[in-house]
Amino acid sequence: MTAGLRVYAAHAAFIATFLGLWEYGARTEFLPQLFFGSPAGIVAYLWDGFAVSKKIWLDLGYTVSGTLISFVLGATLAMALGLAFVILPKLEQAMDPYLMVLNAMPRIALAPLFLLWFGLGIGSKIAIGTSLSFFIVLANTVAGVRGVSPDHITLSRSLGASPSQIFFKVTLPSAVPVIFSGLRLALIFSMLGVIGGEIIAAEHGLGQVLSYQQATFNMNGVMGLLALLACLGMLVTRGMSRLERALLKWQ
Amino acid sequence: MAAIEIERLTVRFGDVLAVDDVSIQIEEGEFVSIVGPSGCGKTTLLNLLTGLLPLESGGISILGKRPFAGNPEVAYMLARDSLLPWRSTLANASYGLEIRGVAKELREAKARQLLARVGLADFERHWPKQLSHGMRQRAALARTFCLDSPVMLMDEPFGALDAQTKLQLEDLLLELWNAERRTVVFITHDLGEAVALSDRVIVMSARPGRIVKQMPIDLPRPRSVRALQKSHEFHDIYSDLWEALEAGMKGAPAMIE
Ligand SMILES: Nc1ncnc2c1ncn2[C@@H]1O[C@H](COP(=O)(O)OP(=O)(O)O)[C@@H](O)[C@H]1O
Ligand SMILES: [Mg+2]
Repeated sequence: MTAGLRVYAAHAAFIATFLGLWEYGARTEFLPQLFFGSPAGIVAYLWDGFAVSKKIWLDLGYTVSGTLISFVLGATLAMALGLAFVILPKLEQAMDPYLMVLNAMPRIALAPLFLLWFGLGIGSKIAIGTSLSFFIVLANTVAGVRGVSPDHITLSRSLGASPSQIFFKVTLPSAVPVIFSGLRLALIFSMLGVIGGEIIAAEHGLGQVLSYQQATFNMNGVMGLLALLACLGMLVTRGMSRLERALLKWQ
Repeated sequence: MAAIEIERLTVRFGDVLAVDDVSIQIEEGEFVSIVGPSGCGKTTLLNLLTGLLPLESGGISILGKRPFAGNPEVAYMLARDSLLPWRSTLANASYGLEIRGVAKELREAKARQLLARVGLADFERHWPKQLSHGMRQRAALARTFCLDSPVMLMDEPFGALDAQTKLQLEDLLLELWNAERRTVVFITHDLGEAVALSDRVIVMSARPGRIVKQMPIDLPRPRSVRALQKSHEFHDIYSDLWEALEAGMKGAPAMIE
């Protein structure tokens, strides 16, 4: 057995034992099901949601599309603004105090306002998600652009590079790794914003289902949804890391 | 006509007098080193020659023209290799030509030639992070020589290398230079390096930078920097200049004759 395989086996054994004890505790009512649910109950809930009643798909769709739209919207706007700051430093000076105040505000506290403006549907969730992802990507874009090596600029200027050549051949590529780590974080925070909004008030979405299951004391539902959200988060991070590795081979 | 003429150059940064009344003439094809303590204005001098800093007091002419950024007759090599980490060795070596608008096929062919001459023929697809310090500096040499500029300005290009690698690169530089004998202004704080490479060594004092001594180096060419390490003549010149350099460290005002 290779070392890697042994590690997997150890993890599998640990998880199996953990779930086994949990199930045993639930059946003997040592662990009250009202608070902890049970592994079998969780599996049954997810199985019903995905394969029998298939109700969960619609909510999953709402959450995932809300997340992606917030991410793309926030990231695009932030990168555009961050790069505009390079070309127009005065714009940055003028906007900086306002951006700082907005960024300092706990965005989730704006949720009631967004709900009022954009309604119970996906619009308000996108607003929350976007407000979170935007500032992360903006901060990283600005930091990335600032981190450009002065030597690279000096060399390029001595060669007679135009401002646009310097921007596209030096500043932008040197900022990409920092922007990318912002994007990875922004995707997670878009999801956080959307689910947070759904928990507060929504018609659809995993967050809405989660808060409904909790209100009706269905712990199997709550636990199942939490597991699903954890998987979703992991999938998102993994995907971004893979994309990053493919695009930034030079690092 | 001299290739480079610097006349009564004085540079101030605010209240700080960085370079004080410096005049230098450099002939076409001459290899001149400027040695001086850190902060004496060596980099500033090169930044003026490349037109990156505006000239405020004194005159500079390079092949009869005033300095300007993007002058195709001037190639600048910085202290650190300053390779672009997201470009392959080949794309780095051809970067200067790319900025100067040379077509892709031409510039890559030229860069391949230079990479072969610096011993990096097998590394054209490598990323800079995959190269050793010495190899990175070789790539930077290839990028500089790729430009075919008649005047080359080098700012302590081997300052960060270990002694062995440095000797190798100094010999490589001499080999590249010997083929075409372009005009070189070579900045260093290593006096041995300056003597071994140059036709003439100029010693500058601590800030404000003034010329303390100039000395022609009449060692025969072609030279081998390694072989020179054992030559008496080399060591005699070295100790002569060392005295001037030491006097200049204390900021000696007058020229030593
Ligand atoms: N842009 C600048 N503003 C203010 N002072 C500067 C600037 N550039 C260089 N100096 C000062 O001028 C002096 C010469 O600098 P430099 O040419 O980099 O020295 P060297 O390359 O010989 O070590 C130093 O004392 C440095 O602090
Ligand atoms: Mg310097």
